[in-house]
Amino acid sequence: MIWIAIGGSALATFLVRSTPFVVTIRGRLPPAASRYLEALPVAIIAALVGPAVVAPAGTLTHGAEPIAAALVVATVAWRRSLLGGVIVGVVAVALLRVI
Amino acid sequence: MAEGWPVMGTVLVVGTTFGVVARQSGLEPVQVAAMSVLVFAGASQFAMVQLFSESAPAAIVIASVLFINLRHLLMATSLRAQLQRLPLAGRLVAGFVLTDESFAMTTGYFRRGGRSLAYYFAFAVSLYVLWNLATLAGIAIGSAIGDPRRLGIDFAITATFTGIVVLAIRHRSEAVIAVVAAVVAGGLALAGASTVAVITAGALAPLIAVVTRR
Repeated sequence: MIWIAIGGSALATFLVRSTPFVVTIRGRLPPAASRYLEALPVAIIAALVGPAVVAPAGTLTHGAEPIAAALVVATVAWRRSLLGGVIVGVVAVALLRVI
Repeated sequence: MAEGWPVMGTVLVVGTTFGVVARQSGLEPVQVAAMSVLVFAGASQFAMVQLFSESAPAAIVIASVLFINLRHLLMATSLRAQLQRLPLAGRLVAGFVLTDESFAMTTGYFRRGGRSLAYYFAFAVSLYVLWNLATLAGIAIGSAIGDPRRLGIDFAITATFTGIVVLAIRHRSEAVIAVVAAVVAGGLALAGASTVAVITAGALAPLIAVVTRR
């Protein structure tokens, strides 16, 4: 199952990256489609955060993950550092789970 | 090329993080390494780890990766004019190593009047090699660390996604889309629809961008 997913994901990624280099697509995308495609990555990644924060390991959170996620947002918005945000989030969640 | 060092440093750090969290999630070392060798897409690989840990079906994993990477259609289309003079094999390699980072750096280089395609290949292939070396280092580190939940390391993926979203937001409409996607996906997961939560919320929230004007 995992290998099928890895192989399929590799093929899907290769196709979206190389098709425009191989096939000539005539005309331009409608502006609405461009706006949709531009917004898509952020939406998908944000959608991954939701379940992981409210239902980590499949059950309702005890509060550690939402608080840690808020600290990550604050840290990254303030320092513009992804690594700094990840460190703050990991340390915060480890401490909050002990409390 | 000198302006590429910060990007290369980031790729090393994120690639190592990927190796650690993927290994900690229970994937075999060869599976983790294969993801970096074959897929070579940062956010997608983290997403795959998360979906694997929720036992999502392969079709959901592949569809999610496809959606995350659809933006590369636009990037490749915008680089096409410069790369058109290459033979087919060269264009296929160019597509395989295309990333947000190599697209951004090469677009900047062309805008400054650069003409050499060697810039694109040197940068994109360097990132591929660094990403894979970093993944291997992360696999080694991840295999050596004990229980991930005790140390909070299982939260590293979520923290990484959260940070990526915050850094990517430039307009208020994008912040609205991100919040809506996260809330809808979280709600669906709590309602028991966790397999389709991410793909549903992720595909619907960008419709806000279609109906609003900046």
